Amino acid sequence: MLQILAQLIVSGISVGMIYAVIAFGYQLTFATSKTLNFGQGEALMLGSLVGWTVVAYTGYWLMLPVVLAFGLVQGAVVERLGVRQAIKTKSESGWIMATIALGIIFRNLAENIWGRDALKFPSPLPETPIALGGVRVLPMEIAIVVGAIAMMAAVELFNRRSIYGKAVVATANDRDAAGLMGINTGRVITFSYALSSLAAAFAGVLIAPVTSTGAAMGGALGLKAFAVAIIGGLSSGVGVVVGGVILGITENLTGYYISTGYKDVPGLVLLLLVLSFRPAGLFGRATIKKV
Amino acid sequence: MRLKLPLAVLGIVALLLFPFVITSPYYVHLVATIAIFAIVALGLDIVFGYTGEVSLGHSALFGIGAYTSGVLAFQLGIGFLPSIPFAIVVAAAFGAVLALLALRVTGPYLAMVTLAFGTIIQILINEMTFLTNGPLGISVRAPVYYDWREWGGVFDMSLAKMRNVQNYYVDAVALLITLVVVTRIVASRWGRAFEALRDSPIASDCMGVSVYKHKVLAFVVSAGLAGLAGSLFAYSEQYIAPNNFSFDLSITFLLAVTMGGRKSRTGPIVGAAIVVFLPNLLADIVLFRELAGVIAAVAVVAGGIKMVRDPESRARTAIPVALCVAFFVFALTLEKITDFKLTVFGAMILFVVYYLPDGIFGFLRQGVASVRPGWVRMHAMIEVKGDEASAWAATPPRVESGRPLLEVRRLLMQFGGLKALDNVDIAVMPGTIHGLIGPNGSGKSTTMNVLTGIYAPTGGEVLFEGTPISGLAPAAIAAKGVARTFQNVQLFAELTLIENVMVGLHHTYAGSMAEVVLATPRSVREEARARVRAASLLRFVGLEALANEEARNLPYGKQRLLEIARALALDPKLLLLDEPAAGLTAPDIVELNLIIRKIRDHGVTMILIEHHMDVVMGLCDTVTVLDFGQKIAEGNPAQVQADPRVVAAYLGGSHETVAA
Repeated sequence: MLQILAQLIVSGISVGMIYAVIAFGYQLTFATSKTLNFGQGEALMLGSLVGWTVVAYTGYWLMLPVVLAFGLVQGAVVERLGVRQAIKTKSESGWIMATIALGIIFRNLAENIWGRDALKFPSPLPETPIALGGVRVLPMEIAIVVGAIAMMAAVELFNRRSIYGKAVVATANDRDAAGLMGINTGRVITFSYALSSLAAAFAGVLIAPVTSTGAAMGGALGLKAFAVAIIGGLSSGVGVVVGGVILGITENLTGYYISTGYKDVPGLVLLLLVLSFRPAGLFGRATIKKV
Repeated sequence: MRLKLPLAVLGIVALLLFPFVITSPYYVHLVATIAIFAIVALGLDIVFGYTGEVSLGHSALFGIGAYTSGVLAFQLGIGFLPSIPFAIVVAAAFGAVLALLALRVTGPYLAMVTLAFGTIIQILINEMTFLTNGPLGISVRAPVYYDWREWGGVFDMSLAKMRNVQNYYVDAVALLITLVVVTRIVASRWGRAFEALRDSPIASDCMGVSVYKHKVLAFVVSAGLAGLAGSLFAYSEQYIAPNNFSFDLSITFLLAVTMGGRKSRTGPIVGAAIVVFLPNLLADIVLFRELAGVIAAVAVVAGGIKMVRDPESRARTAIPVALCVAFFVFALTLEKITDFKLTVFGAMILFVVYYLPDGIFGFLRQGVASVRPGWVRMHAMIEVKGDEASAWAATPPRVESGRPLLEVRRLLMQFGGLKALDNVDIAVMPGTIHGLIGPNGSGKSTTMNVLTGIYAPTGGEVLFEGTPISGLAPAAIAAKGVARTFQNVQLFAELTLIENVMVGLHHTYAGSMAEVVLATPRSVREEARARVRAASLLRFVGLEALANEEARNLPYGKQRLLEIARALALDPKLLLLDEPAAGLTAPDIVELNLIIRKIRDHGVTMILIEHHMDVVMGLCDTVTVLDFGQKIAEGNPAQVQADPRVVAAYLGGSHETVAA
């Protein structure tokens, strides 16, 4: 009984970390430009499918840099086509609709290139579960947690230590002031989109060996990451990890104890609960608007 | 537009006669579907066009309406028309919960939450088989309310065909009612509030028009209309299933509003017609090619005209034209369209977002305006005469004699480790002008923001008419009779001058939204009275002649005067003026002095923040001086001017040197 619970929690954590990485991507762009990519799930899907094609030639580990580079480019394209104009004209609806449209196009193109069916993704690690104190864990699930944390830590480190990262932080704090200090904020925003898609593409190849891949995989993941970003707070790095894990575990528990059909429901319920009690998110800070 | 009324009548007649002219059931059903989509789009426009929020959950609200009717019929046997009110109320209730929660935070939250909501609702409809019959869906059939076949063969139709026509009329009437409802709401104080909160949320709150409350209200109305349309949809299709209400449908609704043209009635209807035709268009390669050809031709002609008229923007005009031509070439080379249906759909959205931000209707309107400017009006023309007497309606403040109107006690405002205000006490006596001066960064504007509720103070309290107001929301404080102007002008830029003032008069209306929709005598009377008052207030500040200009077109000095008129509309007992003379020319300052005196003569108490010392010293009865968040001096102008600490604060030097 308790073992099942532990099992559900452990696998919930690994899914949750995937949500966290995607939500982390939302935070990156939201910080610099107050916009986010409504097609983030599609960025994950594309990264995963590109990885699926490349992995046949190179093996898993050599495929990673290719996918990460692809993610960077894909994110930059989204920013240029979907977001830049809207930021210029200060149109909120503009970027929301444009990034959704790009997501629709990406998915349709993926369907035409890779087909509509789920594709098996070769796992770089043994696919026999390891028993840890009675709980069976896939090596890949451990890799997901490690990879996700490493990814977020690397980006954080970059932002804090490097001069380019400081430009990102400065833009996030005050775009106008950063611009006056000679930072090309437009480029910083493009860069944050590139990083955000890189994170998503990485999440895509992390999760694909466990779940398989396919043109339809993005939508649900991108959506749950929204819930995670709101639950954790759009401005808190710790928040998305905690939010992701909470959502991953709750979903697993709901799926097991209630019904798999209702698996996706707690996400919305949690989200609404957080909004009613802590609108800025569990770890978010309410900002004071200045006049 | 003088053509508006005849065109509307023509449209209605065409709508009502349509089934007699085109008897094909397919087209009757198609037009009915357009009417249903138009109802959703008109409702969505209130949220999307007016308040500027994005909803990605309207397909779910539409689905909730459809399933409310469906379930009522399926489980309880309640028929079509009786189920409509339920559909509206249930959808509106869901909308209320969503909006109440999602709109507590600013940012793209509504879009994110409604997107999640849409997905979950679809799952729930699928899973809750006991209620919704799950993936199998529900079949509903409208009863035949009136058998036209009894008319002795005037109408030759089968039962199915008659049901089809009957549904058509229900849908058409619903569309007409929706048109009236939406038109009346957006022309009323509610519509002005929706537009105002988008232009300047802070000013809106400070005029007593709570941004949060009105955004929620807009969303609830919009959700109710989506519910209505959903109910009509269920009976129009006679069958509903969960995958009728997917995320793509929400995008389709947004596309309809954007492509047709926001903030209009014609736009969403045009948009609805286009998106309803879209699936047919995207299924038929020949039709698709023809249409792409027509679009390319229109783009070439329109672009050509623009290039000749405006040579400077040639490069910018060339891009969309080239895209349209490329699209035509793409259409010609395409073999099978079904595989790339969604790509075309996505490309259309991108194109509209980029090149038709005002939609087809907006594009045409601009086109007409460039040829015949007089034909196009963006705003309702409000032409009433104001008079000096109607401008004032403030009730005298309720304070015992000798007691202050506003009392600030040990006020503390901390931002992190910085004390912007440190134990400040101020007492403002009724009927006086109280000056608040100090060097930059001394805490004057912070005081203003605490007094109007924009900041909640860290400590201390603010009493107005003897009751505490610190910690209340800005709109609640405004409702008590505290009005303000802003240091960096915060007008509702896209509203006209008179509309700006009428937003300030929001509180003078007692009629509910239902009364506005029904145009009851009271609501008509209230609107008329507000117009006269607004015109009178504009006259008071000398802007009556510009009443129907957009506020953003005003020169800076006049913008400040308009802010004062708008603040006076709140019938304030206390008026806070935050640097009203900043950036004004000398003659403007003279005029401002005169206006402030007149306001005082009408019994309004004022707090005046100002750097122009001649203005402060000439007008104020009492002056409080702040420096680094602390009160360093208080008294009448002469005393303050002589105070060595004040001199030190302004000119530098330590207290010791001054004292020595």
